[in-house]
Amino acid sequence: MTSLLQVEGLGVNFSGLKALSDVSFELEGGEVHAVIGPNGAGKTTLFNAISGYVRPTAGSVQLNGTEIAGDAPHDIAEKGVRRTFQNGGLFPALTVLENVMTGLHTQTAGSFLDILFARRKAVEAEVEAREKARSLLSMMSMADMADTLAGDLSGGQQRIVEIVRTVASEPPILLLDEPAVGLSPVARQRMMEIIKRLSGENGVGILLIEHAVELVMSAADRILVMAAGTRIAEGTPDEIRSDKAVLEAYLGHA
Amino acid sequence: MVTSAPTLSRRSRILWLVPLLALAIPAATNAYTQFIVNAMLIYTLATLGFTLVIGSLGQLAFANTAFFGIGAYSATIIGTAFGLPWLLTVPVAGLFGALGGFLASAAALRGIRLYYLAIVTLAFGELMRWLYIHAGVVTGGTDGLPVPLEQDFGLSLTSDNVQFYIFLVITCLLFAGTINLLRSRIGRAIIAVRENELATASLGIPTSRVIIMAFVWSGFVVGIAGSMFALHVGHVFPESFGLTQLIIGFAMVLVGGLGSVAGAALGAIALTALPELLRAFPGMEDIFFGVVVMAVLLALPKGLAGLLGRFSPAFQQRYHRN
Amino acid sequence: MFLQLTLSGVSQGALYALVALSLTVIYRSTSIVNFGHGDFVMAGAFLAYVLVIGLGVAYLPASIIAIVAMFLLGVAFSRGLIRPIRGGPHIGLALMSIAFGFTLRGIAATVWGRDVLPMPRVFNIDPIIIGPVLITGNALFTIGIVAVLLAAFFTLLHLTDIGKMVQAVHQSERGARLIGINVGRFHDFSWGVGAALGAVGGILIAPVSLLHPDLGAGFLIKGFAAMTLGGFGSLGGAVVAGLLLGVVEQYAGAYIDTAMIDITPYLLIIIVLAVRPLGLFGRKVVVKV
Repeated sequence: MTSLLQVEGLGVNFSGLKALSDVSFELEGGEVHAVIGPNGAGKTTLFNAISGYVRPTAGSVQLNGTEIAGDAPHDIAEKGVRRTFQNGGLFPALTVLENVMTGLHTQTAGSFLDILFARRKAVEAEVEAREKARSLLSMMSMADMADTLAGDLSGGQQRIVEIVRTVASEPPILLLDEPAVGLSPVARQRMMEIIKRLSGENGVGILLIEHAVELVMSAADRILVMAAGTRIAEGTPDEIRSDKAVLEAYLGHA
Repeated sequence: MVTSAPTLSRRSRILWLVPLLALAIPAATNAYTQFIVNAMLIYTLATLGFTLVIGSLGQLAFANTAFFGIGAYSATIIGTAFGLPWLLTVPVAGLFGALGGFLASAAALRGIRLYYLAIVTLAFGELMRWLYIHAGVVTGGTDGLPVPLEQDFGLSLTSDNVQFYIFLVITCLLFAGTINLLRSRIGRAIIAVRENELATASLGIPTSRVIIMAFVWSGFVVGIAGSMFALHVGHVFPESFGLTQLIIGFAMVLVGGLGSVAGAALGAIALTALPELLRAFPGMEDIFFGVVVMAVLLALPKGLAGLLGRFSPAFQQRYHRN
Repeated sequence: MFLQLTLSGVSQGALYALVALSLTVIYRSTSIVNFGHGDFVMAGAFLAYVLVIGLGVAYLPASIIAIVAMFLLGVAFSRGLIRPIRGGPHIGLALMSIAFGFTLRGIAATVWGRDVLPMPRVFNIDPIIIGPVLITGNALFTIGIVAVLLAAFFTLLHLTDIGKMVQAVHQSERGARLIGINVGRFHDFSWGVGAALGAVGGILIAPVSLLHPDLGAGFLIKGFAAMTLGGFGSLGGAVVAGLLLGVVEQYAGAYIDTAMIDITPYLLIIIVLAVRPLGLFGRKVVVKV
């Protein structure tokens, strides 16, 4: 499998506080790479550093050979890295369908003028985007919620819509920040299956922050364990299960 | 499928009904009332521009009255200097307004937002006003400039009725364009930036550019409204574009409903007659519109359009998408 | 000449520092930028005028009455008009403050018309002459009062419990509530203090300025220019920048063109935001994602 993302010695320093230091790993296509660790371990900071929301103070992030560390978030997203947000990133005032369509924004044809004059090119692109969004929602059995305002959905439903929006543009790399939070155990399981399917079928490289360790053990191909901003261990679930440093980190935190 | 929000389309039948009905208005009015109706059209267009930035984009922008003034002044100055018929100065006003929109929002490229952006737009607006007064050679200073009212392509521009039809056509065209924008990926991006800018960036959307785009289009629309205003009044004065206009603009946006296209018309129509009536009493306009804004914020935050939306879900879906 | 300009600048700048400080107090405590603040300054000035000229009250008691009145107005505004919409979008809160300011301005215009009102000199202190510099009684008074006020303010903030409370609420409203701080009342109090401080500026201007209902706008912009230069949210920065603005204005007016005095704040805002948006003492806000 191809290596999509290479993170090398990544560090983030907030005026003396080392939120992240010396993190390195590789993300392969078709792989689910989980990131676990106690609160404050720097997991979300890692995501932020990779996706451009925080400027790394050390190290590098390479995407298909190109350095993206320090780039603006929308540039990195355009290059193929899409993410979800820990606190939810949906747009409450837009409908579910419209939310998903924003995920297709960069792929929807039609310039400003095309849209202004309602030229055929823009109108057709709009219809196409609408249909694609609708079919994506159908796959998640959420088609009947299409015209509901996103703000009116339950927390769990919002998470699912956010993921649909994130994968709509078929990005090669996904960063999912606690996608299963707020979901029932059954829905959680389903979520994990969807994630596995995404990576397996389409060769998407998925980086996943998740607190439910058992879920991660069964779904992930590789696991990166973090604490206090650095990596404690990295390997397959079996390797991690028996890793001394990991056991210490988790036992040490009651 | 039937109940989904309307898509970008070439024709929207009901939308054309309103202007068709409006064609009959001049038959029912006398000169004074027609004058007020014309003012309503002008403010409707201006409010559309305001509500796009303040409502849809959600940025507190004080520069909008500046765009209005820029439109009025540029149309008059260029028209007088080059002997252009008023109709040709309309797009000129739009372009200058758009330029103003760009300048006022350029700070957004550096990540300037919200309060900082509001202050920059305030500074921009006040700077423009200072210019109107101090660049006397070009702008006529405190005396302002007269707007040449002649015949444009055979149409007598002094007639309120003729002005009405011209204004109506311009307003409808710009409304149609704006609606097209709002119902497209651009409109969604604008609202997305308002709702959650960070998440918007994660979708590959260049948020600073979206902000500037909204300001530029708003400047274009408001600039044209300014040129209409110049013709309507017949003379451009610096005071016409001062701080009082600001609160009137905010009031119209709020009364109509933040970010609502239909609301722009509702708010403007509801409040237009009053500035004309209150103008005689110093301070009354400020008090009245100040109180209106406060009352709307407390009691009717979604404005008239929101109110109508509550009674009619169809209206909500079709015309009050913000 | 240079020293004279500097002195005038400091005297004017002291007023700007006060306006900027009062704006910052409200912003730091409630996260709201009071776009109607200039009109609080104006209201303070008019109140002083009414009391001194209209009712014949002496300047000092008139000032105290005016300050207390403005404090109460600030509290009432917060309680009655801000609290009900606290949870709504920021734009609503900003619009509320703008509208309130406009209403104040409108009331002043209705009562006094658009004319300018002169207020007779309050001080009969002869100007002091030190070397080439002439210090008017009023300049001395202004600088003195502002200096005392600032000293008292900063002492209170950093050395007393009230100061700790301010910091607590600013850092975490929920946390502050949990330890028993009545956040609502705290916000009201902050608006009151901000309004009162703004009014002091108005009271200090009144004896030497021509009063008119629109005088607030100028001070608002100067306050914003100072806040921008000093770094949004920095109390010390607001003061330093206010003084700087006053001085720079005087230099620009004398050495370049008198018209520059009007535009200096606008240009300053644009330049600062173009070159160093954080201003002199601002700190980068880390946005939690």
